Amino acid sequence: MKKITIILLAIFSSIIVTVMMNGCASTKLTEKVGAELWGENCSRCHNTPPPNAYTKEQWETITMHMRIRASLTEDETKKIKEFLQSASN
Amino acid sequence: MKKFICTTIIAILYFAVNAQDYNKTAMDSMSTEPETKEYSNTGFLLTGYTNASFISEGKTNSFGNIGFSPIFLWRPAKHFFFEGELEMEFEDGQLHINLEYVNINCVLNKYVTFRFGRFLTPFGNFQNLYHPSWINKIPLAPLGFGHDGVGPSSEIGAALSGGFPIGSSKLNYNIYISNGPTLNLGEEEPGEEGNLMFENYSDNNKNKAIGGRLGFLPFSNSSLELGVSMQSAKPGDAGSEYEKIKALMYAYDLNYIKQISFLKGTVDAKAQWNFANVDNAIYPDPDDTTGMGTYTYNNKRDVYYAQFAYRPTMSQNNALKNFEAVVRYSALNLPEEAKENKDITQFIFGLNYWANWRTVVKAAYQPDKDTPRFWLQIAMGF
Repeated sequence: MKKITIILLAIFSSIIVTVMMNGCASTKLTEKVGAELWGENCSRCHNTPPPNAYTKEQWETITMHMRIRASLTEDETKKIKEFLQSASN
Repeated sequence: MKKFICTTIIAILYFAVNAQDYNKTAMDSMSTEPETKEYSNTGFLLTGYTNASFISEGKTNSFGNIGFSPIFLWRPAKHFFFEGELEMEFEDGQLHINLEYVNINCVLNKYVTFRFGRFLTPFGNFQNLYHPSWINKIPLAPLGFGHDGVGPSSEIGAALSGGFPIGSSKLNYNIYISNGPTLNLGEEEPGEEGNLMFENYSDNNKNKAIGGRLGFLPFSNSSLELGVSMQSAKPGDAGSEYEKIKALMYAYDLNYIKQISFLKGTVDAKAQWNFANVDNAIYPDPDDTTGMGTYTYNNKRDVYYAQFAYRPTMSQNNALKNFEAVVRYSALNLPEEAKENKDITQFIFGLNYWANWRTVVKAAYQPDKDTPRFWLQIAMGF
């Protein structure tokens, strides 16, 4: 029980610190551009792939894969895809 | 709980059907895209990951843990998508091939995607998102996470998923119905009576598991995600004395990643806590020499891990910014009265070097009085 309490306290404290550190990050998601969303969402799981890692057509497939796997919103997926395609070879 | 989930599924399906009108307007710009130009056979993509390891354990060491997992992606039409992964590994001198997932997806509208087939279980985030070797920051999975751990890892069934913004926050969800787990009676593995087994290609009864995960990202930069998952099922064989036994599993997960200026780098914290509760049942006692003995126990178990990583991504030194330090603690708590009842903990330190965005060299060390372990692994996504 003691261990559980310590872990819960650690998690709760982490959340409080995180909330304080992110206090200024209040931009509406719909106002974000593709480059921002690319940097923020890909890194939740893995390093952000550079746009030239895949072709425009491959990004069509990959962004759909990521939309389903990471439950991205449609708007995020569309903006990220357009950014990656515009910057890829 | 099941009534609530069923009602939610029906509500989402209703919403999905009725959202089509809105969808037509909202997706107007996408609708102008030609249907056949971009989504032809060339929408096929072969990707995946591979890894090779060196393991030193006590007085032995060996090259091993070779893995190759090709992932096949195909987008044959605008709203349809296929994904499949083969997991190939060498174990005990033999090649093992596992169909990790294979499913067909249909984007119903802006908020709902329908999935059918075998898919990674959205039960927490480790198995669903972080287990591939080029993503997992330690060369092995946390204790009790993975196939036949505490909690499901993959399902055969149908699912609905999606995500939507709420101001500067975001919600995502997964709801599924599947074959679910079966109850281990120790016939092949004496001592494991009461464990749940999740690798079921066909169901052992008419009951279907129902589960899901709800994720909440409170900040617009998506730096923090908090998730809660559950699955309810009847794992006993149809017609057996275990038919009415219920299993309830739930999990909490946390993911925080952010580049922090005063730390000159990126911190990455991940944690997950799985619980599995199975109704009390009477199992054959493997220690009874007559073969007639039985035993029972309070079948509740849990497993958790907490992982913290730091990478000096803002360092002026190009070599240093590719290094990443990782520490992970995981613990498996088993029922005291069970035959297999030894609680286990694991503490691992790791140092990774990222050769590029998808290639990593990992070194990890587990201090242990009796058997210290060391791993060296190269993993690559492709």
